[in-house]
Amino acid sequence: MNGVMSAVYRVLAFVVAGEVAIQAAFVVWGDAGLGRYVDQVGVVEKSTFDTAFETGVAPFPEFLGLLLHGLNGMMIIPAIALLLVISSFFAKVPRGIVFALAVLGLVVVQVSLGLGGHAISVLGALHGINALALFSIAMWTGLRVSWASRRVQREPLAERVTV
Amino acid sequence: MGVGSGRRAPRVSSRIRLLISITATLIILGTLGWGWTASRLPASYAATDMGVMDTGEAQAVAHSGTGHAGHSGHGAASSAGSPHDVRSLVAGESGPADVSVTLTARRERVTLEHGLSLMAYTLNGQTPGPTIRATQGDLVEVKLVNQSVTGGTTLHWHGLDVPNAMDGVAGVTQDAVQVGESFIYRFVAKQVGTYWYHSHQVSHEQVLNGLLGAIVINPAKGIKEDIDVLALSHRYAGKRTVNGQAGDVITPAAAGSTARIRVINTDPGVIPVWVSGAAYRLVAVDGTQVSAPTPIENRSVLVPAGGRADLAVRIPQSGQAVRVEFGGAAMIIGPKGAPASATPAPSETVDLLAYGSSSGIGLDPAAANRIFDYKIGRRPGFVNGKPGVYWTINGHLFPNVPMFMVAEGDLVRMRISNHSGRAHPMHLHGHHVLVLAREGVPATGSPWWTDSLEVKNGQTYEVIFRADNPGIWMDHCHNLVHARQGLLAHLMYQGVTTPFRLGRHSANYPE
Repeated sequence: MNGVMSAVYRVLAFVVAGEVAIQAAFVVWGDAGLGRYVDQVGVVEKSTFDTAFETGVAPFPEFLGLLLHGLNGMMIIPAIALLLVISSFFAKVPRGIVFALAVLGLVVVQVSLGLGGHAISVLGALHGINALALFSIAMWTGLRVSWASRRVQREPLAERVTV
Repeated sequence: MGVGSGRRAPRVSSRIRLLISITATLIILGTLGWGWTASRLPASYAATDMGVMDTGEAQAVAHSGTGHAGHSGHGAASSAGSPHDVRSLVAGESGPADVSVTLTARRERVTLEHGLSLMAYTLNGQTPGPTIRATQGDLVEVKLVNQSVTGGTTLHWHGLDVPNAMDGVAGVTQDAVQVGESFIYRFVAKQVGTYWYHSHQVSHEQVLNGLLGAIVINPAKGIKEDIDVLALSHRYAGKRTVNGQAGDVITPAAAGSTARIRVINTDPGVIPVWVSGAAYRLVAVDGTQVSAPTPIENRSVLVPAGGRADLAVRIPQSGQAVRVEFGGAAMIIGPKGAPASATPAPSETVDLLAYGSSSGIGLDPAAANRIFDYKIGRRPGFVNGKPGVYWTINGHLFPNVPMFMVAEGDLVRMRISNHSGRAHPMHLHGHHVLVLAREGVPATGSPWWTDSLEVKNGQTYEVIFRADNPGIWMDHCHNLVHARQGLLAHLMYQGVTTPFRLGRHSANYPE
């Protein structure tokens, strides 16, 4: 049970890190498409986005990236982080709960900055930097588990030698 | 595991640890599950059950100081009488109508003039639907026939303060008109100006896809300008059109003549409108004439979602045409073949708080006996079982939004403040509100009567109106997607009831 749960914990941590990379890809792909659209067609206004978000009729194909960035970021990633925290209760990883809560905390900060950035743009800048912090902590959370299990595998050999 | 390396955890402690872990998990999942179930809307409910009653009296007493026992007596008297069903709130006039129109609603494929083909909603085969024209004082009768709009439809008269039974809100003032059914709207055209009509059933989708049209009411003596031009702006599948045409739309006019251009914004977002080739005046806002409008150059007018702006221009004697710019489309007015060069969007806008000249407003803000707050915010939560980040009104998610209670004759003040991160075009049915101040700066221009007010993030507006139209009136964001997400409250007159129901067991979905 323990081995399975720490494997689940480790995988979820890496999924969070991978999701951050996906989020970066989505939003820049969308922004690049926006630039091309304006270059070709020339007009973007409030209802370009407002209507597209709901109807799904995208003014340009890359708009999907912006839509998915929002959906993935507000719904899927928080759900995964929550599952990470729940798995940390059962996985006997030293300080596993602390790290899982740190990941969840950074996700909460990231969503808040993302929403706030729509009104105060400097929060958007912080959203970009926090993404890197979140990626790093999520990777570390997963790698710690690998390092700990590798350390356990090496110990018996060392012990045998000294004895 | 080496024999001497680490401690052996006692079995009791590891069991307790497991128990704590399971409990913590159940608490997390339980909280989410409770949030989900508690937010589910009932299968059937009435608009009068939806929300938290706000009588606005406590604040009014605190502000005005003097006793308001008389007013509460007045309120009690009007509710002591038998309750009025919304169906009884109709136009008093009987007999044949002066303007009689039948609008048949269909869902069909249309090809707009620039070749774009899409599934849209048409009225009498066209989108936008036919323009209804009347003279002030006319009794207008419109028969809505639903030929093929599955899910039902209604017509709401945006900006017209019609009797409540004619307001067209599915589930509140009527049941949606299903396929094969019809509904007759009758009202007296008391207000002069530019208005529009649109569906209020599944409105976020039906209005987007074209179930709308203009209604123009002229004074008996006609308008001052030589030419009357309609400029209904709508985006179909992302393409901006004016009166259903994309690109440049041409209206012929002689050099030296004057034109009134009736701009209607039927989209969910604010649009800037400006004129190239001549100075222009803003002569009416949301149907109300502007007092002493001054010429405008190098500024645009921001027309909120649902709002209207009447612009007056004089076609230059030089023979050039004038362009009314919509950003992506334009209305060109002038002699045939006359040149007209476009100008980029001005960075400055017209501030309605200080445009035109002030005249007496006829209302004493200090005498208001109801004072309400309409605070728009945003927070995560559940609405009808779906998790997300939702709009809040006075801190509450839908359906725990305020029901603003008033009695007929009340003078009502409302403070609309927005700290939700996005702009919202706020629309109150059945009434026009007068803007008193914005962020404490008092209005000094022509009395700014509006029914569609763009409230930007961080802004606060103080408005006032007389409760002179009994009924149950929606007060919502006209970005209809936001309304569907819960940015929707209503004004309720004491003693008014409705037999109509909302919820998934009814067929009524006003947003």
